[in-house]
Amino acid sequence: MRPLRVKFGMRSAAALLALAGGLALGGCVQTRQYADLQFSPPQGAYKLLVLRPDVTVGSLTTGGMIEPRADWTEQARSSIVAALRAQQAARGGQVTVIEHRDELPGVSVQELADIERLNFAVDQAIVQHKYLGDYLPTKRGKGLDWTLGADAVRLGQKTGYDYALFLHAEDQVASGGRIALGVLGFAGCFIGFCAPTVGGSEQLDYASLVDLKTGEVVWFNVVDAASQVPGIRFGDLRTPEGAAQMVERLLGRMKPGAAVRAAQAKR
Amino acid sequence: MSRRSLFFAGAAAMSCGVAQARIRPADMVPLVGAGFTPTDRDEIGLWKEMDRVEEEIASSNLLIRDREITGYLKDIIGTVGGPAAKDFRIYLARIPDFNAMMFPTGFAVVFSGLLLRMRNEAQLAGVIAHESGHFLRRHMIRSWRDQRRKTDIFSIGAMLAGIGGAGAGVYLGNYVQLAQLGTILTLFQYSRDMEAEADAMGAKLIAEAGYDPMEMSTIWQQLIGEEQASAHYRGKRRDRGYSLFATHPADEARMADLKADAVEVRVPGKTYDNRRDRYLATIGPIRPMLLDDQVKLNDPGASQYLIDTLAQDGWNGLLRFYEGEVWRLRNRHALGDDVRAAQSYAAAVVYPDAPADAWRWHGISLLKEGRTGEAKSALSHYLKMKPDAPDAAWVRQTIG
Repeated sequence: MRPLRVKFGMRSAAALLALAGGLALGGCVQTRQYADLQFSPPQGAYKLLVLRPDVTVGSLTTGGMIEPRADWTEQARSSIVAALRAQQAARGGQVTVIEHRDELPGVSVQELADIERLNFAVDQAIVQHKYLGDYLPTKRGKGLDWTLGADAVRLGQKTGYDYALFLHAEDQVASGGRIALGVLGFAGCFIGFCAPTVGGSEQLDYASLVDLKTGEVVWFNVVDAASQVPGIRFGDLRTPEGAAQMVERLLGRMKPGAAVRAAQAKR
Repeated sequence: MSRRSLFFAGAAAMSCGVAQARIRPADMVPLVGAGFTPTDRDEIGLWKEMDRVEEEIASSNLLIRDREITGYLKDIIGTVGGPAAKDFRIYLARIPDFNAMMFPTGFAVVFSGLLLRMRNEAQLAGVIAHESGHFLRRHMIRSWRDQRRKTDIFSIGAMLAGIGGAGAGVYLGNYVQLAQLGTILTLFQYSRDMEAEADAMGAKLIAEAGYDPMEMSTIWQQLIGEEQASAHYRGKRRDRGYSLFATHPADEARMADLKADAVEVRVPGKTYDNRRDRYLATIGPIRPMLLDDQVKLNDPGASQYLIDTLAQDGWNGLLRFYEGEVWRLRNRHALGDDVRAAQSYAAAVVYPDAPADAWRWHGISLLKEGRTGEAKSALSHYLKMKPDAPDAAWVRQTIG
């Protein structure tokens, strides 16, 4: 994007971040999920609506920038959708995936856009207050306590779906140059300049599940699979296996809410 | 490593931030033709990412969808868009700020604040042509590649300096840090060059379409005046935008360069026009909204300056009314804001195009001054213009 003028430049932020050495990332796979206290994972004959899965796959350049790749993104999107269908079918779910906002009969583009934007804002709040440390005392011990409200209920009534799933997945593949940089850093170890951990690819996925009968966000999960060493990776969204692995990590181990688990434990 | 060598390395790193020679409009040839689609892998990736962005913007509830006005903008970009004229999409967002932007795939967003500030079609066309220039000169992919190349070189260089230094037993970390700063500065310089290119290209495009290219320089003159006035009222000094970390050239530099560009692109004997009448007729219906959004920013210095600038083409009831609103909303009696507002409302109602609310506030001001008779007549004029006003019952009771 090129604005006519800016007072403070954001445009080169990506390059600056790459130059400044990037973020300190843990070289492993982390997941952390939250659920509504009363949540039990959907099973039996339920209808699930997946709204415009947001998938991007890019190449990690030598200097650490992310170059979006249309072909990889397309591969990853179809692999993820296939894996998602297979996984949900195994639980008895009937899945509809919407790629564009005009594909849902009886719901206008504007209504769907509103739901998506509302969900985005709510997801941001969840990430802020559950993952990034700004914990709210009023939400302590309440599991996942957010809702999309009446709009989501109306969507459910109009379409007959039980749940809506919002899915975000981004992944990178280290370029040859980035791998060479890591190898160079490793070679330096022999003469006293050891820097093999220049930072490799990072896969970040998150999903939120909304109960369309109550409007509540009943479940939220984040998967972060990051590598410090270019060339070593913990998943590849482009392949069917990598996509299935991601869907399993993200959605496969859905835990019931605390109240439900407590009740189960008593029994 | 001596301190002197470090100093020279530093000087070398900084020198890339120095302003460069003006870019000549004649050198600005479009780099894309009609119906351009990317064929390079990185550009295809960039375009793909923009699909969702455009879908999001196209359905944004910030957009003004008035067909008259959006059609007008499309018409202008169709005139000054060069070879890609028919490929552009243009959206108008209701944001009371001076800005417009072009996205890599050829869709532009214009802020409504721009329509308030432009005094004629030539100025608006100048801004739109500047944005077209970014697309025609392929600025997004070029600056992306510049960033990629420089971060690549820096990373390899830093690694080699570390290893080489370790091998030779010297520490080169200070040089690496300087090189990092130098790289960052060249990225900003590259961005400023792209903006200068777009300005030069814009001047060329509007002159070819028969608009007076000097109007582009006038835009920046107006903007500098607005920012000075805004800062002055807040007791601050205007940020002049001269910085090694600026993505855009300073406003003064753009104004001066565009003036020189205009002289260069004008063809002797050809007549240039600013098409002010067509501009005013088209944006007339939304001008009250634009003024309303502006005065509610509560930036009296800027708002008064803008109104004064528009009034150079003649005062009218609408401008006088909003002049009153600027001071009524600031509401500092010690500084005489109420008196100033009352004077503006009184001046507004003299014009036949005074909005109903001008009569309302004129009446209320008179009431406060104790001129009850005149107040009642002003308020009944208000009721006549707006019988269904939300406060009609109160007004009726007041005027008895």
